[in-house]
Amino acid sequence: MTDTVCSEKIYNQIYHNWGKSIFHFIFFKCGDEDQANDLVQEAFIKLWQNCEKVPKEKAKSFLYTVANNMFLNEVAHKKVVLKHAQLQPHKINEQSPEYLLEEKQYHEKLQKAIANLTEAQRTAFLLNRIEGKKYAEIAEILGISVKAVEKRMSQALASLRNEIEKI
Amino acid sequence: MDKNYILHKYLNGEATIEEIELLKKDSEYSSFLKISEATKAFEIPTFNSEETFSALTSKLDKKEGKVRSLFSSKYILRIAAVVALIVTSYLFLENRTTAITTEIAQKENFFLPDASEVTLNAMSNIAYHKKGWASERKLTLEGEAYFKVKKGSTFSVETPQGTVTVLGTQFNVFSRENKFHITCYEGLVSVAFSDTLVKVPAGNYITIENNTLISNETLAVTSPSWVANESSFENALVNDVLSELKRQYPIHIKTALHLNKRFTGSFTHTDLTVALRSICDPLQLDFTIANNEVIIYAKNSN
Repeated sequence: MTDTVCSEKIYNQIYHNWGKSIFHFIFFKCGDEDQANDLVQEAFIKLWQNCEKVPKEKAKSFLYTVANNMFLNEVAHKKVVLKHAQLQPHKINEQSPEYLLEEKQYHEKLQKAIANLTEAQRTAFLLNRIEGKKYAEIAEILGISVKAVEKRMSQALASLRNEIEKI
Repeated sequence: MDKNYILHKYLNGEATIEEIELLKKDSEYSSFLKISEATKAFEIPTFNSEETFSALTSKLDKKEGKVRSLFSSKYILRIAAVVALIVTSYLFLENRTTAITTEIAQKENFFLPDASEVTLNAMSNIAYHKKGWASERKLTLEGEAYFKVKKGSTFSVETPQGTVTVLGTQFNVFSRENKFHITCYEGLVSVAFSDTLVKVPAGNYITIENNTLISNETLAVTSPSWVANESSFENALVNDVLSELKRQYPIHIKTALHLNKRFTGSFTHTDLTVALRSICDPLQLDFTIANNEVIIYAKNSN
């Protein structure tokens, strides 16, 4: 009784624990902020509607699965568009304008390359790189083996390197 | 060591500095490292947690959030608490003893749940359970009362001096201090006191004092006189008569006399002067009344 998601307190706690992660997960897939927001809401509504069937411990994987399924159901997939973050200024004094320009070009290339990755590769790669998730966790979220995550990571890196160095 | 293995170790954040240095020497792996590090610096749109949550909750409210919350444990507990309160108060009220008490100069006439009639004399008290009345006709009495009991199961009157049991009759019970009088007007009454059991047939009355049977006499009346606002005595101690007078009128009695005389007669409950006259005249006494204070003195002493 106490561990059901139907309790408002537990439901809120789950939202605060996983809402952001689900948002990132969907964003890595579709690159659309609004769509990611919508799907987060939809996933949590589904969770509330099924709160009696979902134990507290299963809520996280339920949310990921539901969000993923709803994403797949939506027809229009957009390319991931990532904004370039401001780099941490620990080398600022030595940075020549040429270096900064080079850096900027490199990031633009990388951004395009990431957008061209397959959805499976990109999700795994960004979950690892931006979210800082370990392979085991990614495997759990995507419902695949750790070996498969390794493969996707290798493929993503190889594909990114090819694209950046070719252009 | 396998560089691919080290690369995955690095991506999992488990590689040592030496291992990373090893990867940097390889041109292919060093570009993997560069890509990996550069990707870290990408910014993703911030998740507006609160805003999304309020949008979410408003959708939930529209859909079925409120319906569901009706059945949440919090509400069930509240409903259960209210039900428990109602049930306990019902049981409490049902099990409560019904008590009827009379003050000085007050008489109370009422019916018990089985339509038996009770007349309660002044300064008396009766208590009984309304709920269990059908299964057990039992009440407690302090003071004096006259009962007209409907025929049925055993009817018992418990007093500090003993228990009076009948099946259906008319009788009067007087139980004050150490005096216990039972008068039977109809049927048969059984009186249990200390370890004795006495049957009182119709038209008889018994007097018990200090747990001893004093007298068992017959009488001619069909109902106690006090019910008709008159107290009757036969060969009674004047003290007992005056005690009864004090129960029927709110007065204090002062007297210097040793009233060990006996009195046969009656007094009314409606007029104090008349009542005092009917007590004092046969005993060669006189009295004055002032502000509820009655002084009784010998007639010739003035």
